[in-house]
Amino acid sequence: MRVKILRQNNPYSKPYWQAFKYDGDMNVSVAAVLEYLNYNDDVKDENGHHADVISWECSCLQAMCGGCAMVINGKPGLACDTFLRDLKGDELVLEPLRKFPVISDLVVDRGIIQENLKKANAYIGEYEHDDKYSQDLEYQIGRCLKCGLCLEACPNYVKGVNFYGALFANDSYFINARRKSDKESVKKNYDEHFAKGCSKSLACEKVCPVNIPTLASMARMNRL
Amino acid sequence: MTKVLIIGSGISGLTCAIECASRGISTILVSPFPSERAQSVLAAGGINAVLRTDNGDSIEQHIKDTLNGGCNIAGVKAVTGLCSEAPDIVRWLEGLGTVFSRDKESKIMQRPFGGQTYPRTCFAGTSTGKQIVTALVMETRRYEGKGLIERRFWTDFYGALIKDKTCYGALLYNEATRTLESVTADAVVIATGGQNRMFSKTTGSTQCDGYAAGKLFEQGVELKNLEFIQYHPTAIETDRKNMLISEAARGEGGRLYYEDGGKRVYFMEDKFGEKGNLMPRDVVSKTMYETGRDIYLDVSFLGKAQILDRIPEVYDLCMKYRGLDITRESIPVKPSVHFFMGGIAVGLNHMTNISNLYAVGECASIYHGANRLGGNSLLAAVYSGRTAAKDIASRKVEQEPSDWSEFASREQGRLEAIREAEGAVFSVHIKNMLRENITGSLGIVRSEKEIDKSIEVLDHLIDVETSGMVRYDSSELEYFNYSLGGILKLGKAMLVCARSRCESRGAHLRSDYPEREESFKKATIISYDEGEFNTRLVGEDAYEG
Ligand SMILES: Cc1cc2nc3c(=O)[nH]c(=O)nc-3n(C[C@H](O)[C@H](O)[C@H](O)COP(=O)(O)OP(=O)(O)OC[C@H]3O[C@@H](n4cnc5c(N)ncnc54)[C@H](O)[C@@H]3O)c2cc1C
Repeated sequence: MRVKILRQNNPYSKPYWQAFKYDGDMNVSVAAVLEYLNYNDDVKDENGHHADVISWECSCLQAMCGGCAMVINGKPGLACDTFLRDLKGDELVLEPLRKFPVISDLVVDRGIIQENLKKANAYIGEYEHDDKYSQDLEYQIGRCLKCGLCLEACPNYVKGVNFYGALFANDSYFINARRKSDKESVKKNYDEHFAKGCSKSLACEKVCPVNIPTLASMARMNRL
Repeated sequence: MTKVLIIGSGISGLTCAIECASRGISTILVSPFPSERAQSVLAAGGINAVLRTDNGDSIEQHIKDTLNGGCNIAGVKAVTGLCSEAPDIVRWLEGLGTVFSRDKESKIMQRPFGGQTYPRTCFAGTSTGKQIVTALVMETRRYEGKGLIERRFWTDFYGALIKDKTCYGALLYNEATRTLESVTADAVVIATGGQNRMFSKTTGSTQCDGYAAGKLFEQGVELKNLEFIQYHPTAIETDRKNMLISEAARGEGGRLYYEDGGKRVYFMEDKFGEKGNLMPRDVVSKTMYETGRDIYLDVSFLGKAQILDRIPEVYDLCMKYRGLDITRESIPVKPSVHFFMGGIAVGLNHMTNISNLYAVGECASIYHGANRLGGNSLLAAVYSGRTAAKDIASRKVEQEPSDWSEFASREQGRLEAIREAEGAVFSVHIKNMLRENITGSLGIVRSEKEIDKSIEVLDHLIDVETSGMVRYDSSELEYFNYSLGGILKLGKAMLVCARSRCESRGAHLRSDYPEREESFKKATIISYDEGEFNTRLVGEDAYEG
């Protein structure tokens, strides 16, 4: 199988395409392909020329950490959760997420996610358990990987300047459900940095690797 | 103390940061990636605490189970502190937003885990570690907003700033600028997790490489009990890693067996009775090993509804990574490296043998003795972070401001030399050899012969590394290059510890010394002195006060 990767040496250099040959097991994930290509002493491109080690972020290898989010054959996904057997065509094309600055190859800087949550004071503060909220939904939101796939897929998210995207909408619900006071300021931030800019494409829900029902969070936040 | 530097942002690092900041201490928390990528998010099963006593359970029983599970070499004082604070820790975590599973009466649910007399593992659905991380990150953000915590990403530990057995800060590698920077602090806390990456396939994260512990060891920090490596009995092998089949699968009733002439032999139940499948992990792994057979875990009889309700993650991962439907088929399982009881030696306050240098979480060694009970390490991660923070807050600063710029520029020079080294041996090759040898000789059962062979290989690799014969990959981050030396030292230290314990206890089984020996009812301490690896056995009093 031919593996084509959009590469970039550092944040300031120009991106370029490089292709590799993969002749291993086809019943594996994209993460396994990357490990396979990098494993040897000397990484070789499809013409047998020396190539730099392919950088990509990875920690858990089982879709629990969100590290390996990238664009796979044009679709955002986790490399460890996307299997060759499910891909169409006989070429695998890998690109870094497009809405974040590239650090190198498939590694991007998703610091803006943490930065925006900080700006919006996304924390609980004084806790109060309130049965009127849905524990089940809170649990699902608690699983958010902060991988950025929802932002990548969203037609409204650009660079996170004003619109913070689905993960912020979900965290807003989570925080409101668990904090004792000043729920108004959470709602205000939610309106300002989410509701105002969301066109409800729901691309975020479809792409979420842990299936967080963002629409449910929105419905509940909008009712407040 | 007023300024703290914490290395590592898993559950232990996050907790320590919050507990420092809440006491007004200015805290820097560094890690290459955000906490969402730390190994802590993989913890599925739960966290132990005695929340009810009407069923006969008590804190004393939790202490007893923990000490017995650890084969009676952990310190009583340390374990007493851990178990006594557990109920408060669970309530604290809930107050920060952890979504624990609750029963119909809205009480936090608890399930039985291995080695427990009563069910006391609290859980948050199938993602306890993740839910705790989510809550802790939110609380960290609150102190970030107040200017008390600064989170730095793309930053790796390089080494500690140590003079006259006192720590003054750390040298950090900035991945963005590819340079070293010295950061001084009144206290440094190491929270870098275990060393899974040293083995071929484990249940853990690729970020846990053991470098920090190895480097500190070179710098004079004592390590402890490195021979005790927990093999979780039930992992399913996949292409890239061994995936954990949570103990919850057996907690819910799952049964281990092998096949003999077409008949199932439930060997754990045969040997240990009704609760056989839930014996402590060391016992289960050992018994599985001794059968010499392929082992299976059957949960199918629980029925689809219960499986999807109680252990959906096990269903999902078997289906996704192995195409196996566990509602109909048994799971082929085998023991896998999972947790490290050993690590940086610390006292009751979590300080190392170097003043003002602390270690918390899985990289520290104190509570688990020769074998950890499931659910006790999340507890220890939180408890240790808290304990270190309390100690730090209670101390007056006596440190003079110190200048480390010369040291930093010397080390920067070394970094550049590494970048340009034109050695003959590829660093990737050294890492692969290290993994093969460690995996081969530190299996469930070890022998002096195999360990010695591995030590010989490691000595050679260390030689290659120190004499500049390595060819590093200049297209990789320097971290992967400069970390090689520390990782190799830790690898050898693990082997030397394993060789020195001439008995079988807990997770350390020796084919040449199959019995438990009273004279070894102690902890192994290992120290590094100009290339020499020295071990000694110490009693509880030496480190645990
Ligand atoms: C699959 C799995 C399931 C588990 N389930 C349970 C369970 O149910 N119950 C339980 O009690 N325990 C469980 N454990 C164990 C438990 O999860 C860990 O012991 C605990 O989470 C460790 O937390 P920590 O903060 O010490 O380290 P980690 O979470 O590993 O965090 C380490 C941090 O250090 C950083 N770091 C590493 N090296 C460097 C460096 N050189 N420079 C800078 N930063 C660095 C990492 O990036 C990370 O941020 C499980 C473990 C695994 C692998």
